[in-house]
Amino acid sequence: MLRKFCLALAVATSAFAISASAWADFTVLVPSSSEGDGLRAAADDYSKMKGTKVEIVQAPYANVFEQGANAGATKSGVFDIILMDDPWIPFFAENGHLEDLTPYFKNAGMEGPDNDFLSKSLAICRNPYNTGPYVCLPYVGNAQMFFYDAAKYKEAGVEAPKTWDDVLKASKTLTENGGGRYFGYVFRGGQGNPVVADFMPIFWSYGANMFNEDRTKVTIDTPEGAAAMKTFIALRDVSPKGIESYNANEVGTALAAGTAASSINWPNWVATFEDPSQSKMVGKISYSPIPAGTKPGSSEIGHWTMGIMAASKNKQEAFDFMIWATSPEQIKISASRGNPPVRASVFTDADLTKQEQFRHYPVLMEAIQASTPRPRHPKWPEIENAFGIELSKAVAGTITPEEALKNAQAAVEQITGLK
Amino acid sequence: MLKYKGELAKSLQPGGSLEHWTERHLRYLMLAPTVLILLVLTIFPSVYMFYAAVHRISPNPDLPWEFVGTGNFVRLISDPQFHVAVRNTAVFTIVAVALEFVLGLGLALLLDRYIRRLSFLKTVLMIPMMLPPIAVAITWKIIYEPQFGVLNEIMFQLGLPVQAWAGDVNLAMFSIIVADVWQWTPFIFLLMLAGLASLPVEPYEAAALDGASSWRQFWDLTLPFLKPVIAIALLLRVMDALRLFDLVFILTGGGPADRTKVLSLYIYQVAYRFADPGYAAAISLFVLFVTIVLSTWFMKRMRLAE
Amino acid sequence: MATIRTRSRGREMLLRLSAYLTILVALILTLFPVYWIAANSFKFDIDIFAVPPEWLPRNPTLKHYDEAFIQRPFLRYALNSFLVAAGTTAISVTFGTMAGYALARFSYPWQWRKQISFWILSTRMMPPIVSIIPLYLFFNYFDMLNTKSALIIAYTAFNLPFATWMMKSYFQDLPVELEEAAIVDGDTRWGAFLHVALPLARPGLAATAIFCLIISWNEFLLSLVITLTEQSQTLPIGIAGRVTQYKTYWGEISAAGFMACVPIVIFAFIVQKHLVRGLSLGAVKG
Repeated sequence: MLRKFCLALAVATSAFAISASAWADFTVLVPSSSEGDGLRAAADDYSKMKGTKVEIVQAPYANVFEQGANAGATKSGVFDIILMDDPWIPFFAENGHLEDLTPYFKNAGMEGPDNDFLSKSLAICRNPYNTGPYVCLPYVGNAQMFFYDAAKYKEAGVEAPKTWDDVLKASKTLTENGGGRYFGYVFRGGQGNPVVADFMPIFWSYGANMFNEDRTKVTIDTPEGAAAMKTFIALRDVSPKGIESYNANEVGTALAAGTAASSINWPNWVATFEDPSQSKMVGKISYSPIPAGTKPGSSEIGHWTMGIMAASKNKQEAFDFMIWATSPEQIKISASRGNPPVRASVFTDADLTKQEQFRHYPVLMEAIQASTPRPRHPKWPEIENAFGIELSKAVAGTITPEEALKNAQAAVEQITGLK
Repeated sequence: MLKYKGELAKSLQPGGSLEHWTERHLRYLMLAPTVLILLVLTIFPSVYMFYAAVHRISPNPDLPWEFVGTGNFVRLISDPQFHVAVRNTAVFTIVAVALEFVLGLGLALLLDRYIRRLSFLKTVLMIPMMLPPIAVAITWKIIYEPQFGVLNEIMFQLGLPVQAWAGDVNLAMFSIIVADVWQWTPFIFLLMLAGLASLPVEPYEAAALDGASSWRQFWDLTLPFLKPVIAIALLLRVMDALRLFDLVFILTGGGPADRTKVLSLYIYQVAYRFADPGYAAAISLFVLFVTIVLSTWFMKRMRLAE
Repeated sequence: MATIRTRSRGREMLLRLSAYLTILVALILTLFPVYWIAANSFKFDIDIFAVPPEWLPRNPTLKHYDEAFIQRPFLRYALNSFLVAAGTTAISVTFGTMAGYALARFSYPWQWRKQISFWILSTRMMPPIVSIIPLYLFFNYFDMLNTKSALIIAYTAFNLPFATWMMKSYFQDLPVELEEAAIVDGDTRWGAFLHVALPLARPGLAATAIFCLIISWNEFLLSLVITLTEQSQTLPIGIAGRVTQYKTYWGEISAAGFMACVPIVIFAFIVQKHLVRGLSLGAVKG
């Protein structure tokens, strides 16, 4: 018996030898979703072309942030480039984890990124927002869109929804006629990131904002906030039971399976809706920018951006790769691999827009141009968590919407130290 | 002195003496690797945890750690999220382990006589334990899905009201418990079967002659005989229940309305989302303290340390 | 349980029937979710969410197996998981058996035996989430991030206490006389352990090994932080990676999850004879 164990031990030790890793010229941390797959494919092309070895580290979405934060806080140069979800940028930038790109642009004889990039896409890459130096470059352009089943909406007497009142009107009729098996609206109610992500666009379209202009006051518990909350709760009443645990996936599935008529979601779902092996609604889902409240609708921006880690030892190589990967040709290839672009020239490229799977590009570009970023604050993850708890309670009905706003105001004030 | 030196010299010679030395110190030599490995692997994390717990640690590597003394522990007292997490963890641990125990023991008692020889069946009943917890969590998510899930389909067919399960404020914790009970009842069931299989026969024959009822036999004989195995099973389960993470992380993310936020999830959020490892260490110390106190008390009661 | 001889035939029949019925219900409840993973892994995405549910895949497909094991490196993840689980189990069982034997058989000065036993168990009580940061620093310092050896070392910290306790209670149940006889016959103390106690402990070894194997094969949290690329990433990380920000790839997850339990189930069936006996002796005494 012991001999067998020694044998197993030998097998295991030989594993040590295999795992001695050959580190590459530089390393990129990406999520294991379509953005990561896209950048991985680009890195393969780059390696073949330049003979540079690029190592791609793929982590589950929820863990890219902590991998980056761990590496940043310990000054471990294990990653050179990190592909970030845009709300993380203030955290990484203000804690000294990201390299200021200004000198690299100067060395390359450039002012900064060219103006073919959408202005909203560039604004999030600067810290402070839109005014500070560049700390990253946009790679995948996402912003929420409003998805709806036009035929069903027509049935309910709404031709093309322009405002949240239209959405409510149609959804109410559809849910009432649905007999508990079909619903007019569905949203992400899961505590934390999901519920916040689906509340913010409504919040903004009623003119509300989390902070005032210069980030000196918290402005959640305001008349605008209350109006947004009223619509949000009205939408909950026409949504299916159980949205309290929904995330983007459940919402998308409900539309693809044809059990709900409308929702806010990310553009990645377009491809799924048009794939007959994944959707019963091929060709039946329409897209539009976010409906208006009392103000024009604004969707939440959700870009993936590339930044250089301050502890990196291969910064110039990393910068060269980033410039290459965000060039118009590469962004077009990235778009053809299924990741929305960040450049106007690619959004309007006829090669792409004539294809069925990219027919949402004009709407998406419009949505990005009208988008709002999540509040730029280094403590955003903590703020999002606190806000998410109160929203989840309001959706679940354990507290009143008014209490939710009041509590959220107090919680965010406490986290940010703004009174 | 001389004698000692001589002995040492002798023991270095080839042959018998080294063996003699090994033989004499066998009790330490056999224990040493385990103790050394565990020392090396736990001493650094423990020291780090105690050190971090009295500091405020900025995610910015260029800022020094700020000594805050008992500050992080004082924060525990007034942190409502921590209180919610403690309550939820307590509810989960008590209900889940109790259910697993009652079901596991009940099944074992009922089935001991009938499937003792069917070891094949026992292995089949162990399968839930062998699945990756993350796959289990995702599977239950599909089962609980309010619109498409199998569970609601069954409710619908039976004419019962459909539920939101993991999405319902009042059922979310229950849903988590059911998934955990599904995965871990087999563990208790098997330990109980094992315990039952080695019970002595004579006391039961004597009791039967005295005309004791099945219930009395269970209460007076089976339970006391099973005490050690019950103790170790409960101890292991409670220790694992206190660190529940995967199921909550996947199924509910702590919601709705904070009803399923457990301590592990909160520690994870504080340490990684809010980048506050000092406070996370303080919460962890609290968990460690409670675990040690509970298990010491429990082992004393069960006289397990013998 | 106890047999009451005077029980009537009819009652006996009824009991037997209800016992079999309970087995049946338990089996259905146990196996249904497993079946559901398997069934979903053979369905197209659209059919996974069919209303009413498809109890049997109507259009079976191997699409998700192709996606997971051919297009994505799940085979590589499985190999990593296997090496890590085998290494951890080998180390934990070998050293845990020795320590367990020592704690069961030898006496120590002062109260060491009791205290060391409890200390070993207490190392398993630390919330794993918080040991992640120090372990990360530790492995980063020794330049061992993203290696399978780092995972084996970390998992050993969790499995060794468990293995020690299982084997300790197992050896305590073995009669000491056989080893004494061997020593009288001229065997050394170590020889008595190796040639007498160890073979008798085979069932206990099987039980301990399978628990260590299950725990390290399925571990998620530590692997998440220590591993970076498919060089060392394990199956649970691969599975978690299919839960993305926008979409959850149910089909691929089901395929990978179902295949993940197959090796363990096979191993369990191979050692099942030892296993049930091992449990029935080992765990009885604390």
